[in-house]
Amino acid sequence: MRALRYFFTEAAASLWRARGAALLAVVTIAVGLFVLGFFLVLNSNLQRIVSRWSESAELSIYLRDDATPDQLKSLDEMAGQSGLVAQRDYISKEQALARFRADFPDLASTAGALDGNPFPASFELRLRSDVREAAGAVDGLVTALSSMPGVADVRYDRQWLTRLNAVVRGARIAGAIVVAMLGLAAAMTVANVVRLAAAARRDEIEIMQLVGAPFAYVRGPFVAEGILQGGAGAVLALLALAAGFYAVRSRFGAAAADALGGSGLTFLPIPVAAVLLLGGMALGCLGGYVVARRVR
Amino acid sequence: MIEAQRISKTYARGVYALRDLSLHIYKGDFVFLTGPSGAGKSTLLRLLLRRDVPSEGRLIVGSRNLAELTPRQVQAYRRSVGFVFQDFKLLPNKTVLENVALVPRVLGMADSQQQRRTFQVLKWVGLQHRMSAYPLELSGGEQQRVAIARAIVNDPVIILADEPTGNLDPDLSLEIMNLFREINARGTTVIVATHDRELIRRVGRRSVTLNQGQIVEVT
Repeated sequence: MRALRYFFTEAAASLWRARGAALLAVVTIAVGLFVLGFFLVLNSNLQRIVSRWSESAELSIYLRDDATPDQLKSLDEMAGQSGLVAQRDYISKEQALARFRADFPDLASTAGALDGNPFPASFELRLRSDVREAAGAVDGLVTALSSMPGVADVRYDRQWLTRLNAVVRGARIAGAIVVAMLGLAAAMTVANVVRLAAAARRDEIEIMQLVGAPFAYVRGPFVAEGILQGGAGAVLALLALAAGFYAVRSRFGAAAADALGGSGLTFLPIPVAAVLLLGGMALGCLGGYVVARRVR
Repeated sequence: MIEAQRISKTYARGVYALRDLSLHIYKGDFVFLTGPSGAGKSTLLRLLLRRDVPSEGRLIVGSRNLAELTPRQVQAYRRSVGFVFQDFKLLPNKTVLENVALVPRVLGMADSQQQRRTFQVLKWVGLQHRMSAYPLELSGGEQQRVAIARAIVNDPVIILADEPTGNLDPDLSLEIMNLFREINARGTTVIVATHDRELIRRVGRRSVTLNQGQIVEVT
């Protein structure tokens, strides 16, 4: 405990002496962690949007007006026997018109002015959640249904969702690369600042070595210095991230709530924020240790 | 207690700093190492402080060959050795108290013990009233007394001093030597490197004269 107090007291004094350089390291770490945090917030909210849209994704089979009851029965059986469908609903032409009128009340009178009912009857199939990613099987079902008699068209929402998923995955990989590079830059900046501190304290280090101070006492303050810089950088990043997040939410919160439903945009969960803080400290610790292990 | 057995120390391009030197220093001795600049006095002190190892021969302290110590054993050995340099090597951004207390502090001594021991040695060197001053606010003689306080705060068995009076006038030099005599009177082995023959004459202790890395006279 006494040793830890010594490490951190010395580290704080050293940081204060070289506060300009230390601030640069703190800001560099903060930038790296801010970008990481930004990607984490973006990723978690995008993932929620994709999940929500995935859950509501349906396979719609639009029927010809002259489809016979036997053809409808065959279609229903094919969907049921495929093993991919969790729920199937038949929507008659009348139900489709009523739904249109409910969804678009302003256009309801337009629909009434038409000769007859232009909306086709359809089957709406909800896929089982465990087969949503089995693109090949679902595509096979779509092809088979499209070629059935009585079918006018088959629309499958998953195709664009798959593309959206690919974009999100790509963004995640690009984010990871940027974060790794910024992390490396931050660790190197910390190492350089600690190296400057080591140069400024070379007389003290020499005296400590000459009196036979344990390695931990000689090296500890440098590691502590890195941890303090990393921790300060992480706190700065979290504060900036929170400020940015609440500014965006106050402006676009309503639109986001529509897309996400319920709670709208969410910030980093506390455990993830804690990991970010510890990550910053670990980054600083690494930078400090790189310098400290050279002190013998 | 200290035995140099035919030690040599060579640097780059085969230049000898010490050549085939043998020396015996007993426990509780007070020995001057003297000679002109480049004679090898500081090199011998460097070897005794285990900042370097001989190129040939053996340097034994107690029963240990210093060249064979592991890094941790070197730390333990240095805790039994105090050192004083010509340029004092005090930390300018720490007070007198902090400079002296640094040693017990990094050696893990309890806070109350650190303070008691630091105060004791500062009182002994006559600087208890300057504890909160910074080194650059002190005279050369006072700075050297702080360095001596730091050297003895850990109760070492050997004190090594490299030209400790090099920056001081004759009266202050004698004052510093008197402190070393008192330290020696308590049983601590004291080895002082100096080229000041007049000072050696006034103190009147055993002196080993080096020239070109070899012992040329012992008186």
